[in-house]
Amino acid sequence: MSAPGKSQLTGAAMAVILLIVLVQVYLFETVLGAVLDGQRLALPGAFGVSLALTAAALFLAFKVRGRSGRG
Amino acid sequence: MPGWKDLFPVDLADEGRLSRREFARFLAVVSAGFTVGIGWLWTRRRPLDGAPAAPGTRPEALKVCRVADLAPGNSFLFTYRDDRDRCILIHTPQGEWRAYRQTCTHLGCAVRWDGRRLECPCHNGAFEVEQGFPIQGPPTRPLSRLDLEIDPDGWVWIRGDLPKPGIAQEGAQS
Repeated sequence: MSAPGKSQLTGAAMAVILLIVLVQVYLFETVLGAVLDGQRLALPGAFGVSLALTAAALFLAFKVRGRSGRG
Repeated sequence: MPGWKDLFPVDLADEGRLSRREFARFLAVVSAGFTVGIGWLWTRRRPLDGAPAAPGTRPEALKVCRVADLAPGNSFLFTYRDDRDRCILIHTPQGEWRAYRQTCTHLGCAVRWDGRRLECPCHNGAFEVEQGFPIQGPPTRPLSRLDLEIDPDGWVWIRGDLPKPGIAQEGAQS
């Protein structure tokens, strides 16, 4: 039960956030493996992608009122 | 309503309840944690344990031991880049010399020489001695191999990192 006045997170938004976290896990594991192999060229790009994904996840999770939000 | 509920009004079932939005926020913070981790890897100057040194940062060549001091089938432990960069020099039973970082590529335990191969005691991983490829257990990547040289005076010298076998060489060259 969501409290009165709080928006309900849609299932689609939840699915997107879960997908983002899965991509982040895969991205971090890949980047860590590359760094351990001495390859650091991909780090700036990986950081940019990760930052964009995090921004999207934070936006979805913390936005005050969703499109389908209701009390 | 029973009297005890007036005294203890907290509903324990609701107390442990996690809303969908709270869970989503937790996941978003986890995602931010991964971003911070990648940023830390990016800004970190010192290579991770087990990773080859960045181009231009190799230490001077290191004199490790005399050939006569290490009989075939034995190993010798030393540090190379700094005190935490533990390495192992191996004189194989066939008379060849190999040097590897001691850090297992699985979870970073120290590998040890058992007379035939390099073994990691933590999860029963093993690496062959020729190139350091994993042959048993959870490790999937080869050990970091060091370039060595034997001078005419009979000393074994460590010269630097060799590129890992089986991966693209562009980033590992120096």
